[in-house]
Amino acid sequence: MSVYTQGVIALMGVNILMALSVYAIVMADQVSLGNAGFMAIGAYTSAYLSVKLGIPIFPALLIGALAASFIGLLIGVPLLRLSGLYFVMGTFGFGEVVRTFFMVFEPTGGAYGFRGPVGATLPMIYGWVLVLIVLFWLLSRSRLGRSLDALRDDAEVASSIGLNVTLLKLGVFWLGSFTAGIAGGLYAHYMFYIESGNFHILVSAIAILCVILGGMYTFWGALLGGVIFSILPEVLRFMGGWRLSVYGSVLVLMMIFRPSGIISRQMVRNTGEWVGGIFRKASS
Amino acid sequence: MFLQQLVNGLTLGSTYSLLAIGFALVLGLLNMLNIAHGDVFMFGAFLGLSFAMLGMPLYLALILAMVGAGVVTIIIERLCFRPLRKSHFLMPLLSTIAFGIVLQNVATQIWGSEPVRYPQTTEIAQFQLGPVLVSSIDIIILATSILLMVGIDQFVKRTSFGRAMRATSEKPQTASLLGVNINWVIVFTFFASGALAGVAGVLTALVYSQITPFIGIRQGLIGMVAMVIGGVGNLRGAMIGGLMIGIIEIMNDAYFAAGYRDIILFGLFLAFIVFKPEGLFGTKEQ
Amino acid sequence: MLEIAHISKDFGGLKALKEITFHVKEKQIYGLIGPNGAGKTTLFNLITGFLPATHGSIQFLGNELTGLKAHKIAKLGIARTFQNIRLFGTMTVKENILVAQNIRARSGVTSLVQFFSSKERELQEKADDLLKRMGLWEKRKEQSLSLAYGEQRRLEIARALALEPRLLLLDEPAAGMNEAETEDLLGRISEIRNTGKAVFLIEHDMNVVMGICDYISVLNFGELIAEGTPDEIQASEAVIEAYLGREEE
Repeated sequence: MSVYTQGVIALMGVNILMALSVYAIVMADQVSLGNAGFMAIGAYTSAYLSVKLGIPIFPALLIGALAASFIGLLIGVPLLRLSGLYFVMGTFGFGEVVRTFFMVFEPTGGAYGFRGPVGATLPMIYGWVLVLIVLFWLLSRSRLGRSLDALRDDAEVASSIGLNVTLLKLGVFWLGSFTAGIAGGLYAHYMFYIESGNFHILVSAIAILCVILGGMYTFWGALLGGVIFSILPEVLRFMGGWRLSVYGSVLVLMMIFRPSGIISRQMVRNTGEWVGGIFRKASS
Repeated sequence: MFLQQLVNGLTLGSTYSLLAIGFALVLGLLNMLNIAHGDVFMFGAFLGLSFAMLGMPLYLALILAMVGAGVVTIIIERLCFRPLRKSHFLMPLLSTIAFGIVLQNVATQIWGSEPVRYPQTTEIAQFQLGPVLVSSIDIIILATSILLMVGIDQFVKRTSFGRAMRATSEKPQTASLLGVNINWVIVFTFFASGALAGVAGVLTALVYSQITPFIGIRQGLIGMVAMVIGGVGNLRGAMIGGLMIGIIEIMNDAYFAAGYRDIILFGLFLAFIVFKPEGLFGTKEQ
Repeated sequence: MLEIAHISKDFGGLKALKEITFHVKEKQIYGLIGPNGAGKTTLFNLITGFLPATHGSIQFLGNELTGLKAHKIAKLGIARTFQNIRLFGTMTVKENILVAQNIRARSGVTSLVQFFSSKERELQEKADDLLKRMGLWEKRKEQSLSLAYGEQRRLEIARALALEPRLLLLDEPAAGMNEAETEDLLGRISEIRNTGKAVFLIEHDMNVVMGICDYISVLNFGELIAEGTPDEIQASEAVIEAYLGREEE
């Protein structure tokens, strides 16, 4: 496999994780435009730990993600009171605060960026992807997952059947910021170099687009979206300098013609039954 | 010194106000955000540059850039808002982010990604007013911005079309029953929003005298910050918000550290969203 | 068990409820009737924590409810339905029941790995039982919103029962039903009372409730104008006036 292909596949893993981090928060009917901020916290924290303090990559990643999710809880308490557009703007403001913070924060290189974290391999990246997919899969079939579905359907009714809506929202916000923190740590340790520009609002926006395009009602949608949005820019490489224009135009057209997402929950159910049928046939 | 900074702050702030008004116009009408607004600003600045390069006088370049930026925004309305009018507010928001990518790329292809300097078409004169040194560029910027701000404010307040805009923003169904052509109101509002951003782009480019295809992102975000601080969807609030941001930015650069400028502005924005989402002059309607 | 004392609710200048006081007793079917706009649903919203009361007190089994969040009130044993049916539309019929059991189940992070526990099997059986009792077993796999109107009403009641409440609040349960469906529903409500629960229901059509309620209060323009047994209510001057007055419009 060429270095180029490896790079694309590695970034695909990071993109999938970022899409899952958005999906986590979408489960509570909120859309965060600030996940690049959590990604940045995970990236800078883990990179600092492994470069300056010599901590091995696995604990460094974990601490980075825990730091991101701790900040997530802190910011989540006031932000989750907001609804709709205000929540989007609030998370966006948070993302920009984080990005501009790392632009001036000297211990992690400030505007010059931070060099040196190494050690993320493809198996490691996809190991994390797998762990999180299993987690989201378990969640989707558990009682907790169903509570989240209820919250998303009708938060008021959800509270009338005894669900603590605030706690559920905070929980998925924690999960989303943790996942983005892992994505950031892996990104930093794969690229060997990070700068604040890597955690631009566009990163958050693309992660949301992954979820919307893939399908907002199942985590498989986030997975598919992550794959598509990693391959699309590469496919468009032959366009040369106009590549980004074509990319942007494709996105605009996608929004017009496929705004409801590719994978629906019904599709997942049907596929599940179909696969189950094959197994039953095979065993009989 | 302080007075001088205040004048500089007002000059810069007035360009932010123009941007913030553009955000507020669209948000007030459709309750949606046009994230590509900052890139329209950038596009307007480059259009003005191109016209100035052709040897046009500044006022002509300004007007043409205004029209050009307005037309770009009408295209945004056609592609990113009209087809998605009934969908979740997030869809047009993301669509405009994508459109912003296109605008940046087109600008890079046409004008290159290196910072470009504005040609000196007018002689810069300096005036000493007591302790304050004012350049002719400052005066052009302030005068143009104030003229446009008063203009749009009076337009929305006094003309029948302005009344149609307000009616549409408050009760679209009723407005259409009363014979208001909603599509026309929306198209015009987008045009006005884009035209103001285009003017702001040209004026800002005069101050910084160098522009790149990527300045739009930051300026656009700052315009949004100004709008939120002033009061979401409130035109006069947006004007004052813009001036405030300009003053804060200049004061920070003068008396604190320029590097912390954006973190302070975005921090302020976050604080407002969380603790005072209706802004300074908005009405509470969360 | 439910003691409502001097409850008032203002919306801006509008007084939706004025100094309401009454009690619902254990195993009682209590009816609250009154014309549309009398404040009945507002009272439900106050009891279930959807709205804060302006002043007054609501006690349930000795617990003060005013100031509590909706989910805490549900945990104390009050379940409700809604006037305009509000099912979880993305879920199947059975999932609507299962999610309402979460209050009694381990539904936190541990639920991720618990789908084979004995407790879980027990809850699944309970859900199946409930569906059978409410005549929804055949439809358990269908999308909840694809059900017929009467079935949706029944499912909403079943979902409330899945909370295993002590007190069930029904907001116009017979609205939009034909006579046969209403008969069937009233039978089910009596059965629910026979399992030891209290039922508190709202109705604007007084004929529906006369047959099954043990006790009735009448609300008009935010004020209680009468209370008593169905016979007393039917004879009450004030009630007749309120209802006839409405018909004159």
